[in-house]
Amino acid sequence: MTLNLDDEQDVTITKGMVRAEFNFWVGIVMDKFYDGLQEKKFIGTKCSKCGKVFLPPRNRCGDCFAKAEDFIDLPETGILKNFTVTNIKISERKSRNVKKDQIVGLVQIDGADTAMIVPVLNINPEDLKTGMKLKVVWAKNIKGHPDDIAGFEPIGGV
Amino acid sequence: MDKVAIVGFYQVKPGLDIMMSPYEMLFEATRGALDHAGLKRDDLSTVIGCNNDYYDGKTISNCFKVEAGGAYMKDESKVEMDGAHAVMYGLMRILSGNHKLAMVYGISTPSCFPYESVRILETDPTFDRPINLLNGYTAGGMQMRAYLNAFGLSEEDIAKVAVYNLKNAAKNPLAIPEAQKSNITVDEVLNSEILSTPLRKLMYPILCDGVTALILAPERQARKITDKPVWITGVGHFNDTYYLGDRDLSTSSSMEKAAEKAYKIAGINDPKSEINVAELFGHTACEDLILAEAAGLADKGKGLSLIDTGKLNPSGGTMAGYTPSVNGLTRIVEAVKQIRGEAEGYQISGANKAIASGQVGFCAQNNIIYVLEGGE
Repeated sequence: MTLNLDDEQDVTITKGMVRAEFNFWVGIVMDKFYDGLQEKKFIGTKCSKCGKVFLPPRNRCGDCFAKAEDFIDLPETGILKNFTVTNIKISERKSRNVKKDQIVGLVQIDGADTAMIVPVLNINPEDLKTGMKLKVVWAKNIKGHPDDIAGFEPIGGV
Repeated sequence: MDKVAIVGFYQVKPGLDIMMSPYEMLFEATRGALDHAGLKRDDLSTVIGCNNDYYDGKTISNCFKVEAGGAYMKDESKVEMDGAHAVMYGLMRILSGNHKLAMVYGISTPSCFPYESVRILETDPTFDRPINLLNGYTAGGMQMRAYLNAFGLSEEDIAKVAVYNLKNAAKNPLAIPEAQKSNITVDEVLNSEILSTPLRKLMYPILCDGVTALILAPERQARKITDKPVWITGVGHFNDTYYLGDRDLSTSSSMEKAAEKAYKIAGINDPKSEINVAELFGHTACEDLILAEAAGLADKGKGLSLIDTGKLNPSGGTMAGYTPSVNGLTRIVEAVKQIRGEAEGYQISGANKAIASGQVGFCAQNNIIYVLEGGE
């Protein structure tokens, strides 16, 4: 709907939507993670006390409340811990037109103790199995950002 | 713990679009709670609201709710979590000795904003938000898969819980009509639209606008105000990590800890036999079971047996209507009605010890649980 407030200014009102842009400092540890993505590498952190490996990385272990500032290079492969498939747009702001199946996976990279939420690609939803081995697919244009992870695909066929 | 009671309450009948302003709804609820308790606004010493700035579309949104909330020229504060957390804030103010009567309300109007899309603002801005795959549907889908896989259960088992909830909602006059399904079948649930596998539409609550308010009073005042005080005899509140990839989604560690603490305070040794009614805020039919098991009402993976006892969510739970910032408060009021013997049409006979819970976060990251008791 467009309201004419005066001759020179139009105000567009979009029902139910607000724009709320904001910036965040990603921090020292996530900066390193983003730098790693730029080189097509996963960099995690390790808890100085219990040795738990975090990916995406954090600078602390919530359980030990100890520093987790030791960086550790991790491989491009991992296992599918959990998944879900939806054809409903995740966010109206970003994927309004997505109508095909989106496969959401919780992927635990080999050597990490945590899993990250990423797209799963190049597989039919009915062939998905928890525990299957996956490998990262990098985006065409790498820019040092989470979008560099195009997704994960099965290793060695299904 | 000193005794604090719930002495009055009011629920605005929720709906998909009530066509009232939030302040009109809020005034109906707070005025209604005062009238229910036979109190005047002057009797209140503090008002605690629960709502969320990004649901309201304006910052410090409680500043607009001062008059309608009953807080004009009074001590007032807000919680941006669930209404059940606002009750703890009110409880703490009374237990501090500095306040007597506390009005607690929760309010939101999800008919005015795209709730699932707005949940992107709950996600980690450095990873999950740019990846943009996490919302209530996908989190609920992964949680349900984890639960089914961990205990060898089927989608049909969760459909049975949904049927149970929707049939209970049909008996609850304050459930939204869209959720009142007295003839629903397991097949209908299993054939409803997939939200995010294996989660289906009829296993997920319907969003609605609503307001719930209640009044808390310390023991001396409570006994004067009502002959049916419902005492808060225990409370527990624990937080899990935000990251779903760190957690075992088949259970709820934060609910386990919270319930353990609440039971310890209330002197409950065997929740399975001692608790007659549980009004739990689950985000899906599956999460109802996960939370009930974590609260010790059934063994892990055996929560389905609770639907035969009828003591889990006799009101229909959030499947009777889901209002962000209000859900936990409504669960508390529903448990209070059971203890007072006023749950007309869905009363559990002999209910005198209940639990009620609230939560925030994906897959119930944060849980708060109350033990509520009637009698002396």
